[in-house]
Amino acid sequence: MSNEKSAAAAKQPLTIDPKYVGRISGVLLSICLVTALLLGVVNSITKPKIDAIQAEKIRAAMSQVLAADEYLPIQLQKDLQGVQSVSEARAGGGTLGYVVQVTASGSQGEIQMMVGVDMENRVTGVSVIKHSETPNIGTKVVADQSVLDRFIGMDHSYGEITVNSGTNRFDGVSGATVSSRGVAAGVNVALTAAFETASGLVE
Amino acid sequence: MNIGKQIKEGLLTQNPVLVQLLGMCSTLAITTTISNGIGMGLSVTIILTLSNIFISVLRKIIPDQVRIACYIVVIAGFVTMVDLLLQAFFPDIAESLGVFIPLIVVNCIILARAESFASKNKPAAAAVDGICQGIGYTLVLLIISAIREFLGSGALAGNQLFPAEYSASLIAQPVGGFLTLGCLIALMQWAQRKVKGGK
Repeated sequence: MSNEKSAAAAKQPLTIDPKYVGRISGVLLSICLVTALLLGVVNSITKPKIDAIQAEKIRAAMSQVLAADEYLPIQLQKDLQGVQSVSEARAGGGTLGYVVQVTASGSQGEIQMMVGVDMENRVTGVSVIKHSETPNIGTKVVADQSVLDRFIGMDHSYGEITVNSGTNRFDGVSGATVSSRGVAAGVNVALTAAFETASGLVE
Repeated sequence: MNIGKQIKEGLLTQNPVLVQLLGMCSTLAITTTISNGIGMGLSVTIILTLSNIFISVLRKIIPDQVRIACYIVVIAGFVTMVDLLLQAFFPDIAESLGVFIPLIVVNCIILARAESFASKNKPAAAAVDGICQGIGYTLVLLIISAIREFLGSGALAGNQLFPAEYSASLIAQPVGGFLTLGCLIALMQWAQRKVKGGK
């Protein structure tokens, strides 16, 4: 059947039957419309749930890296490379420090993490929210809390944190150098962002 | 409609992965743990069945010239719905499958079944075909992921059977996926030849 049609089309390439075009585009358009409508319905049902799950995850990561009563999001005036958000951690009326959500690049893709920084600009905790590192290699860094906890107490008083070298040394996991470096870079960004926020450079 | 034949084809003689060699990308990528394998297999089965039914229902309405575009719209619609529902109600599975759920759109099993079966058969037969092919796909994912999870990380369905230090983590890597899949396809070919030769 399709052969007859294409043969006919080859004979008269310039005649376009408006009815025929209308039918084809009508069907395609109506299928698209129905699909879009259904998607809208599904989206309206699932969106609040997905947002709640995401917010809960971020909230859990915040309280894990720096426990506080409330977290006040800070409006950043300056764009900081890799920084998603900075929030002030408050408890009992005082500021405990800052929680910074950063995106670092790992070996397989982005690593989204939360870093807590206290008022002395020291790391209080690191938590990975989302990653796509290689199972059994990169996950030895990003999914192992004992490795991430090695960052606790580190600061920038001896310069940026470097992996397996330098004075401000973070001991990475052998075989997972790229992931280790990615996480360390994220912590560096977070420390800088927290420092700049604290000193009013970005507000 | 011959349900027995469709089941046999889906599971064995026309198995989408081992015989038709369709959907290799997802097969290799997500079969690192059994829970991933089951999650992916079931998602594909649901989407395949739904899209088969709809394409079969619409088969007389869809013009021949734009059929592929129509199939893709229908398939993409279902994939997005399943993706959103998974994220809302099964966040753990959605997270571990990650980008591979949206990529079901381009899983050739679904397009191949739409083109070669659903567009030529009645909705009921198309539904059975979707379920059978989907189960065939799920079953292969299950076998590969069980082998890879056991050898690659020393666990089965998340239960550690021997310390991960003694496992061959190579098998959990992409290369292990190719090796496992290759062995299974070879086994399938051998078995099919054996059965035919026996007759």
